[in-house]
Amino acid sequence: MSLLTALSRPLMVVLVAAVATACLSVLAATTGSAQLPATEEQAIAIERQLLCPQCTNKRLDVCELAICYDMKQLIRERLEAGSTADDIILFFETRYGPQVRAELPREGFNLWLFGWVTGALALVALAGGWFLLSLRSRARPAPAATAPVDDDWLDAELRAAEERDA
Amino acid sequence: MNLTATIGAAALLIALAASTVAVVASIYGQHAHSRLALMAGRRAILAASALTTVAIVALGYALLTNDFGIAHVASVSSEGMQARMKWASLYSGQPGSLLFWTWSMSMFMAAFVLITVPKIPWGAPHAIGTLGATLIAFLIALVFFASPFRLSPVTPEDGIGLNPLLVDPGMLIHPPFLLTGLVSTSIPFALGAAALMSGRLDQAWIRHARGWALASFLILSVGNFLGGWWAYTVLGWGGYWGWDPVENSAILPLLPMTAFLHALVVQERRGMLKLWNLVLVLAAFALAVFGTFNVRSGLVASVHSFAQSEVGPYFLVLVGITVLVSVVLLVWRLPRMHAEVEFESLASREAGLIMNTYVMIAMALVILGGTLFPVFSELVQNVRITVGPPFFNDVVGPLLIVLLFLTAAGTVLPWRKAASGTLARRFLFPAAVTLVAVMGLIAIGVRDAFALAGLAGAVAILAATAREYATGARALRAARGAPWPVAFGALFNRDPRKYGGYLVHIGVAVMAIAVIASTVYQEQTRALVRPGESFEASGYTMTFEGLEGRSPGVNGIEVEIVAVVRVERDGRLIGFMEPGRRFFANFPDQPAAMVAVEGNLRRDLYLFVQGWDAEQLTEIQAFMNPLIIWLWIGGGIFAAGGLLAFAPFKSRRAIEVDEAAPASGQPA
Repeated sequence: MSLLTALSRPLMVVLVAAVATACLSVLAATTGSAQLPATEEQAIAIERQLLCPQCTNKRLDVCELAICYDMKQLIRERLEAGSTADDIILFFETRYGPQVRAELPREGFNLWLFGWVTGALALVALAGGWFLLSLRSRARPAPAATAPVDDDWLDAELRAAEERDA
Repeated sequence: MNLTATIGAAALLIALAASTVAVVASIYGQHAHSRLALMAGRRAILAASALTTVAIVALGYALLTNDFGIAHVASVSSEGMQARMKWASLYSGQPGSLLFWTWSMSMFMAAFVLITVPKIPWGAPHAIGTLGATLIAFLIALVFFASPFRLSPVTPEDGIGLNPLLVDPGMLIHPPFLLTGLVSTSIPFALGAAALMSGRLDQAWIRHARGWALASFLILSVGNFLGGWWAYTVLGWGGYWGWDPVENSAILPLLPMTAFLHALVVQERRGMLKLWNLVLVLAAFALAVFGTFNVRSGLVASVHSFAQSEVGPYFLVLVGITVLVSVVLLVWRLPRMHAEVEFESLASREAGLIMNTYVMIAMALVILGGTLFPVFSELVQNVRITVGPPFFNDVVGPLLIVLLFLTAAGTVLPWRKAASGTLARRFLFPAAVTLVAVMGLIAIGVRDAFALAGLAGAVAILAATAREYATGARALRAARGAPWPVAFGALFNRDPRKYGGYLVHIGVAVMAIAVIASTVYQEQTRALVRPGESFEASGYTMTFEGLEGRSPGVNGIEVEIVAVVRVERDGRLIGFMEPGRRFFANFPDQPAAMVAVEGNLRRDLYLFVQGWDAEQLTEIQAFMNPLIIWLWIGGGIFAAGGLLAFAPFKSRRAIEVDEAAPASGQPA
């Protein structure tokens, strides 16, 4: 129980309260969902996957241009006529070009970007891993006496405290 | 003749000459060992910064006095604008922002020359030369490509005024912070370059770079943060970060700068990472210049872009030169970087710090790729595509979660090496708290794997940091017999850098919680209503009471139309919200959104109006953004921690004296 004694009771209370508040707020935030008709919810979901063809990087659902208003109407009409989300997005893509897709399709030339991401991550992981492993292989168990560092005092205090505890 | 414009333009031209003198005098002074020439170089930088101050004051004066004979003034200001908005219009538009950038950079340089240069005799000429060359690069752009003092062909009666999107108090603080943050990367860069050129590759430059890097990190973070807050309260899309190319450009230099702040501790204490630290400061500056290029070239379509101009290619050349010179210097000095390996174990704080810098650089690389990919797509296959938020969320999100856990682990790990028993004891508390939090989150219905992992990482940081504060305060309490709050405060006094840094981590964790909650659990409702009609949004009843018009009569605003919305929950009145649209006399086709936010600690209700017709049939969009206020609170904690970390170290002697007094009267 050294851990509990290590942290004083008020601090524990504060911590537990903080965690509980965080959890409760998430709970409060997540309950109660929007009561929308199914198609309306679907329509907004589709709008969020499309961008305004005229503005720059503005999602369709939050754009107020006339062209976007028409697109939103069209989405609802097509949904009611039975089209799927993919069909509708494809329709707008053929009409306005691939830049209206908010999500980059993982195909064709775009794979180069995903290749770059994979390559960059692999490079950092390999070079970093190699460096860390080479450090470990050169590791010296007993360090040379170095200049006092800024939290030596804390280490000393802690050692003393641990000895008292033990 | 326009006197103000003449003074301003002349000041810039002379500043260019002074910067050239700084470079030439430093080179000559270094070769001929002439103290006089070195002193002249220093003074030349100070003179250049005084002259750019003259230029910016001249432009400010022209704006305040409505001197529309100057083209920049006529294009961004108008008579009806408030004085503070006229000040803000100084750094809007291409030439104005470039002047602000150069002026702000010269202020940093002057401070650096006065504060740090006298302490670095080994590298003073090299640092001065680098500063001078950097100033020359930007002054050339100001003098030859985008002069803020170019005259209007015909002096107009009134100016056009600020772009509607920019007429907002946010304009008063976000751009200055961001621009200043970007230019401040030039100081650590100059120190790194000086270390490379002079061959003094030990800890000397690191010691002096730390304060400047911390300033840069802090200002840049605050600039980005204010941008997010502004976007949220003004733009009306319910979010604060859109992965717009210019937002990405602003965050890119911050990543290597943050990595540097962590890696420099390892070099300071363990003598390792000499090459890596240099790479990080050089990269931060190169990315800052890349950012200016990106904003000014119109290369990548962005909501922030200035008009396309001839200055774009010039900045591309500058980025190229910066990278090339950096690489040449690094390769040239590589043989002289003797790693002093003082490494004992992978389970150590130094290993944790090193890994976290890798994650930050990985993030920078993928963000850079995503930002530039549309350009390649258009160049190579002539297809315009958008690399939007889904891509960035998918690739940066997981890296961010890794970073959260690494931060927590790094906080817990001791320097050098942890004995296995110590390690278990140190990890026990944070791990237990995190586990309990995850179970609690699952119990209340959080199922999204990304949200769970991210929230767990944030809780791990909070718990690990709390444990660090508690152990430190306990040690001080034991030593001094001081009560907990005093012992806690004494920690910051004892080691502001470490405990201030931990506070920054707490800010990051709190912000992460807000980002995750508001990204994963945002709710959106749209309603088309007539006056008197109601709709339900996220459990609230919203009654549209009608449209109202007002004319504030300032800043070129012709009329503001707001939709009055009565918000109730379970029959209880929460309040009235007034989202609307603002119309401008000079920009009739560019109305700006007026967002209405009603917030508490749990959630924000966020309303904006999309449009209406002649019968007041109005389209209202409502977002429920959970926990978003914690983003701003976390940002405040972050900034407070950063400021605390600035506090000067107490010397060991001062601490000993400090300790001796209370300890003498303390019972054993």
